[in-house]
Amino acid sequence: MSTEPFKNVILLPQTNQLLGLYTIIRDKRTSRPDFIFYSDRIIRLLVEEGLNYLPVQAKSVDTETNEVFEGVSFMGKICGVSIVRAGESMEQGLRECCRSVRIGKILIQRDEETALPKLFYEKLPEDISERFVFLLDPMLATGGSAIMATDVLIKRGVKPERIFFLNLICSKEGIDKYHEAFPDVKIVTGAVDRGLDENKYLIPGLGDFGDRYYCI
Amino acid sequence: MPLVDYISNEEAELMRVANASSQRRRSSVVSMESGKTKYMPPWTTPYIIGIGGTSGSGKTSVASKLVSEIDVPWTVLISLDNFYKPLDKAQRKRAFENNYDFDEPEAVDLDLAYRCILALKEGKKTEIPVYSFVHHNRVPDKNITIYGASVIVIEGIYALYDKRLLDLMDLKIYVDADLDICLARRLSRDIITRGRDLSGCIQQWERFVKPDADKYVKPTMKNANAIIPSMADNQVAIKLLINHIKSKLKLKSEEHVEKLLKLGGLESKDSKPLSYYKNIFQIPATNQVKALRTMLLDKNLSRDDFVFYFDRVATILLSSALNNINIQSRVTIETPEGHHEKNMIRCDFDSVIAVNIIRSGDCFMSSLKNTIPSIAIGKLLIQSDSQTGEPQLHAEFLPPNIHLCNSVLLMEAHVITGANAIMAIQVLLDNDISLKNIKLVVYMATEVGIRRILNAFGSSIQIYVNFIISNEKIKSGNHNWAVTKFIDTKYFGCN
Repeated sequence: MSTEPFKNVILLPQTNQLLGLYTIIRDKRTSRPDFIFYSDRIIRLLVEEGLNYLPVQAKSVDTETNEVFEGVSFMGKICGVSIVRAGESMEQGLRECCRSVRIGKILIQRDEETALPKLFYEKLPEDISERFVFLLDPMLATGGSAIMATDVLIKRGVKPERIFFLNLICSKEGIDKYHEAFPDVKIVTGAVDRGLDENKYLIPGLGDFGDRYYCI
Repeated sequence: MPLVDYISNEEAELMRVANASSQRRRSSVVSMESGKTKYMPPWTTPYIIGIGGTSGSGKTSVASKLVSEIDVPWTVLISLDNFYKPLDKAQRKRAFENNYDFDEPEAVDLDLAYRCILALKEGKKTEIPVYSFVHHNRVPDKNITIYGASVIVIEGIYALYDKRLLDLMDLKIYVDADLDICLARRLSRDIITRGRDLSGCIQQWERFVKPDADKYVKPTMKNANAIIPSMADNQVAIKLLINHIKSKLKLKSEEHVEKLLKLGGLESKDSKPLSYYKNIFQIPATNQVKALRTMLLDKNLSRDDFVFYFDRVATILLSSALNNINIQSRVTIETPEGHHEKNMIRCDFDSVIAVNIIRSGDCFMSSLKNTIPSIAIGKLLIQSDSQTGEPQLHAEFLPPNIHLCNSVLLMEAHVITGANAIMAIQVLLDNDISLKNIKLVVYMATEVGIRRILNAFGSSIQIYVNFIISNEKIKSGNHNWAVTKFIDTKYFGCN
């Protein structure tokens, strides 16, 4: 059943620096200010990596010495879409790279009656179908809400190959399930965890990202 | 001061100076092919001037006139008064009663003076004691730190006394004055400015100063290369001396420039491509990086955007320099869900120190603070002399215990001739930082500059660079932007 696990998965290079950053944010003794700072650093790396895959076109510019430099410029427009609440923690990282980027929001919560994820709210840029979309959600565990959010994007006309799903940690199950639905969406991540426990939490994970980032 | 902006000009100037000096001293020129030439900063060969003469002869005013006229950064004036031996209780009592002989050679710790000057001559960081005439003792925990002197002026009655000190000196000056003039000067100085009484001063003069002057100081006149009168009208003598010193210093700075040039030039044939060197890390030229580079080269980009996009590339560059950060330890951590993870890598980001070369290195300030908020930042001011092109170290502020840190990021926006970076690296080495812990982080560099750094320090220094402009491109003639210092100008918004 499983799709090829690492196709269209962009894993950040596992350098000393990155592994050191993950050690800090996984540790339950890390204080909230540190958790926020070091998560933000990883988020920045994820955004930079995602931006590396945007297409460019040739462009020449005049340099300070009035010589012409044959370079390139970005093609096409982008926008961010965060899955409320944890995904919003990644908006700042995106803004630090793209100052006035448009950011849409999607709220998905578990329906009390059916126990299934349910779409409660969406606000997306009008012209989202013409844009590259950075979908923001820090954890990919079962993939339930990410799949629902991506479905919303595709129904609004976004092309799957123009979606980049950025997360800090994912599981192999999550990747497989997500790519089963959307094989052409690129997942940009920094860590692939061992698996899921009986409560569908990532192992080892880092706890509830939204709680650690916003509350405790 | 007009900065020399173009490598073509700068290189041409360097070449011109070097050629002129090598014609004069053909015998001393080492052939370019004779293998690796290591970098010799100017402070490993400081020009040392000794100024001796009896007490009250006017040594100090001669010395300060020389220092102000020479006008070379890192000219250091050392008074041998700092090296008076600390007195014990009984001696101190005698000193307060004007009964201690400060004027015999034994009163000065010439051994310590020799060790300090020798260390300076070897280019090492040196601590000079501070002596208090109020307490007749060395001031505890207060030393003057001297480092990187290009010219050292040593002044004191026994400056020309010790053979070992004399051997270190390039120029020995004796300031000659009649003893009655000396006495008159001493009396007015001691009574008016030091609040001493007349009889005490006369007593000290007759018992110690005059006999010691005759016995020990005056004979040192024969060690001098130049004897100058101590009158108010010794300006001609001083002018002659200064001209002599300046010509010697000019030669020294030409040698320095020549040595820098020997580290490689546009025409030098190096068989290995830069990609061969594993210690050079160029950030991958992804679409994004290429687009950012293009924007930053566009002269029509607003300053607002320039600062924003420079900070972006700077952050990418810094991340790449931190990728190989040393692992501090392996630890077991517990996650909030109670999983115990063994063997996790811990890196101590806070033990990384940055050193910015003023001004272009300061363009990295905001990206540094965003990456490691508490990072300690040192500064080096190195500027090229507008006449000779010689890089000169003007100021040095380094965090304490810098040699204990995990790694030092040396920040510089441009490497064009490489001279400033080479000098900065040498300063770090002199501060006991090992080469393998130095990471030079550069926005853009020329191949010449990078090769000079490699030739000077070998391949243990790590260089992180956004992009390198090859010799071919520079020689092709339409890459003058690559040898123009525009980044800090545009980043800070002033020339």
